[in-house]
Amino acid sequence: MKKLKLNITVNGQKHTLKIDPNLRLLDLLRENLHLTGTKEGCGIGECGACTVILDGRAVNSCLILAGQCEGREITTIEGVTPEDGLSPLQQSFLDNGAVQCGFCTPGMILSARALLDHNPTPTEAEIREAISGNLCRCTGYTQIVEAIQAVADGREEQQGSL
Amino acid sequence: MGFKYIGKNITRPDVAAKITGRVQFLDDIKLPGMLHVAILRPDYAHAKIISIDTSEAEQCEGVVKVVTGEGCDLVYGDNIRDLTPIAVDKVSYIGHPVAAVIAETLHQARLAVKKIKVEYDPLPVYTDARDALKDDAVLIHEDSGEFWHLPGIEPIGGTNIANRYTVKKGDVEKGFKKSDVVIEGEFNYPLGSCSAIEPHGAIVWFHEDSTIEAWSSSICPFIIREELARVYGLPVCDVRVHIPELGGCFGYKSDITVEQTIAFIASQVTGRPVKWVATRKEDFLSTLLGHGIRTRIKIGAKKNGKLVALKTEILHTTGVSADTGVHVLIAATHNSTGTYEYPNCYLDGYSVYTNTPPVGAFRGYGHQESQLAMERMMDILARKLEMDPFELREKNYLGPGKVTSLGETVNKTNGNVKKCARIIQDVVFSHPKEISEDDKYYYGRGFAAMMKTPKGAPFSSKSCYLKFNVDGSVSINMGGAEVGQGLRNVVRLVAAEALQIDPSRIRVYTEIDTQFSPWEWQTIGSMFTTQGGKAVVRAANKAIRKLKETASQVLRVGVDRLDYDGDFVFVRSDPTARIPVPELGRGYTYDDGQTIGEVVHTTADARLPRQSNPDANGQGIMGITYTFGAQGCELKIDKETGEIIIEHFASCFDVGQVINPIQIRGQVVGGVMMGIGASLYEELKFDENGKALNPMFRKYKFPTLKNAPKKQTVEFVETPGEIGPFGARGIGEHPLVAVAPAILNGIYDAIGVDFYEIPVTPERIMEAIKG
Repeated sequence: MKKLKLNITVNGQKHTLKIDPNLRLLDLLRENLHLTGTKEGCGIGECGACTVILDGRAVNSCLILAGQCEGREITTIEGVTPEDGLSPLQQSFLDNGAVQCGFCTPGMILSARALLDHNPTPTEAEIREAISGNLCRCTGYTQIVEAIQAVADGREEQQGSL
Repeated sequence: MGFKYIGKNITRPDVAAKITGRVQFLDDIKLPGMLHVAILRPDYAHAKIISIDTSEAEQCEGVVKVVTGEGCDLVYGDNIRDLTPIAVDKVSYIGHPVAAVIAETLHQARLAVKKIKVEYDPLPVYTDARDALKDDAVLIHEDSGEFWHLPGIEPIGGTNIANRYTVKKGDVEKGFKKSDVVIEGEFNYPLGSCSAIEPHGAIVWFHEDSTIEAWSSSICPFIIREELARVYGLPVCDVRVHIPELGGCFGYKSDITVEQTIAFIASQVTGRPVKWVATRKEDFLSTLLGHGIRTRIKIGAKKNGKLVALKTEILHTTGVSADTGVHVLIAATHNSTGTYEYPNCYLDGYSVYTNTPPVGAFRGYGHQESQLAMERMMDILARKLEMDPFELREKNYLGPGKVTSLGETVNKTNGNVKKCARIIQDVVFSHPKEISEDDKYYYGRGFAAMMKTPKGAPFSSKSCYLKFNVDGSVSINMGGAEVGQGLRNVVRLVAAEALQIDPSRIRVYTEIDTQFSPWEWQTIGSMFTTQGGKAVVRAANKAIRKLKETASQVLRVGVDRLDYDGDFVFVRSDPTARIPVPELGRGYTYDDGQTIGEVVHTTADARLPRQSNPDANGQGIMGITYTFGAQGCELKIDKETGEIIIEHFASCFDVGQVINPIQIRGQVVGGVMMGIGASLYEELKFDENGKALNPMFRKYKFPTLKNAPKKQTVEFVETPGEIGPFGARGIGEHPLVAVAPAILNGIYDAIGVDFYEIPVTPERIMEAIKG
């Protein structure tokens, strides 16, 4: 199979790669770049575990071909985690008991992050809408909404990047 | 209570790694030379295999080996041996492994598996226990009467019955004769999927030295180890099983369910690890399902509301293998009394082989299915008797001195259902209903009580290894699987309390590896807090004893005269005579280098005390600990669409002792959501040919945030138990046991229609309103 040349920026770092044309963005991240924080739960865009931020928008990376990302910027869970400690959003998930098994968590964090980047003070309805594509089987969602709400309300201190 | 760490919101130790995406789940594991597998599933749910042509697949790029079941005579099962790794002569359900391709990459394996050609000769298909029980039904396992099984499991040869379990207490027919009122009903809790967001999977590596190494997203590493060793004729010590981080379980990653297949496939390529992770469709159809339980129920009562007799028939659509389902049936049957005392019972359960995926553990394990029937019937009986449903229940609740269907007498330490019920009554029903309907909605409120018993086995132990480090910090290793429920924090906080050491100085295990981890039967039945916690306390007490024994030699006083406070061992009558704990951890070393005493590391275990097999009447000490609770809801029903909206859901459980408030709330809120999913949305449907109609999240209607109740109230009663650490009982499964009957009772309150099966979809509501 003929390989495609791809220029892509992931978590601020530029990469030039040769890839199979049918490679999904999810596989590019997990297999080629070893960024395994992005998870595969269904492979058909129904669960949101593979959510990443593509040019500022939360997307399911299982539904996007890597080849479609030429020249574009991707942010994964590894990219929103500070070198030291946790971001306020992550801290709020921790403080509010919003994490149980943790498999949906990276996708949840990125959906929430994309929302807060565009709308730092969302209403509860806007929060519910923003993460309605992210499935969680453990928490019943309530504590996840509370965690995002706490950041939006400024109860979790926002220092620098979310 | 005077606890230092128990009952406080101390953050669990595993969240930071999860929240940054750094923890390693099964699919994140890469091993040198690792191969990948794609498995062919059949076109028919029940058919003879005429031929398999693998020639084209073998020629595909990257293919290392194509595997079929030809000649495979391996049989698995830790309860009843009816589980085979791969189809041999026939397929028996739509998820059955028929053949597999091992290739260098997953993509190559998936391309090649499509090239395998199979000819089938279809057989009759049964997707419901009622059909598989008919006299002329074809046998799904011709030799089912011959299978090895544990004591207490009763397959009936020559039928599709994998297990019949009957409980007899008193004389049920006399009981009905004495009754003033007799009511009957039939309820159905259909097949469902646990659907953890992490799909199930396994890696198996047959090493050149004849040892086997496996990784699985399972909660049962020791069962997998013991079963692989038995089947491959190895000593158990030659099989090593690793459990990485688990992305949810809810039951279906228990026992041995996928590992036997991957082991058979991997055994064809000795020397190389072989990885398989289920696609979402495979996760629905080729692991374990839940429920599939139909309950026929007949209740006799006196005019004054006193319950006299109960007859239930539990029909379990157990699927193609009953290895994990037989115990679900037992739990569903003896718990079909719900939280009430019946002097006369005849409870009759049947696990029935069907051409559907095997049914096993699903959070709740048989309890919610038959208690859906009981709790709905309580409301129906109250109407018949023209009695307040709370009063009716209160007259009959199990409590101190009352006797369960198993013949066990309930003690005060088993908890207080009446208190839980009154709290829910107060939270949901203390005010008159504000409104019954308006232009847009009908409004209703419902209630249900619940009881949960752990389903254990006589040998179901949990163990703990505890080690004092040189700085006085403590490392703890156990075999309990962390699936998200937060058991590592339970271990840490129980140990902190028992040792009086700050939790920040206690590190608990992050993964299970049978080479290092202490033995544990399996992490099921909401038993870890109770049993695992007890093992921790025992190990801690042994460690304190060792510290004191060494200190006793140094201080030259008897052990009985010493006390320990977490920092020092000291003489009770003279606390200034003391030794810091860190100086005792490796024995005590004098200035001249001479050392006395022992390294302080201890092991301890805890079984389910007194657990026994059932006797001839199906009775025995199988309940061990009981946990009681009650749930209630306020809902509204959209008149135009039939949509049911849960405005408020309230739960109260007598958990003995809360270990961590934020975690236990999370367990309840999440469990209630699962129960709402089952009540209103979820059902895995099969057509008459046994093909699944909705094996995907969107069509299975997995609840999203939009389905979450507007408000959840979570309350606890704390009547200390006798067994668990500091009086604590389990909570993992309980939150979804009474959800369905509470909602269905609320639906009756809203529109006056009795529903007998779930999910109650908008279509069913509209039919009911119009009809």
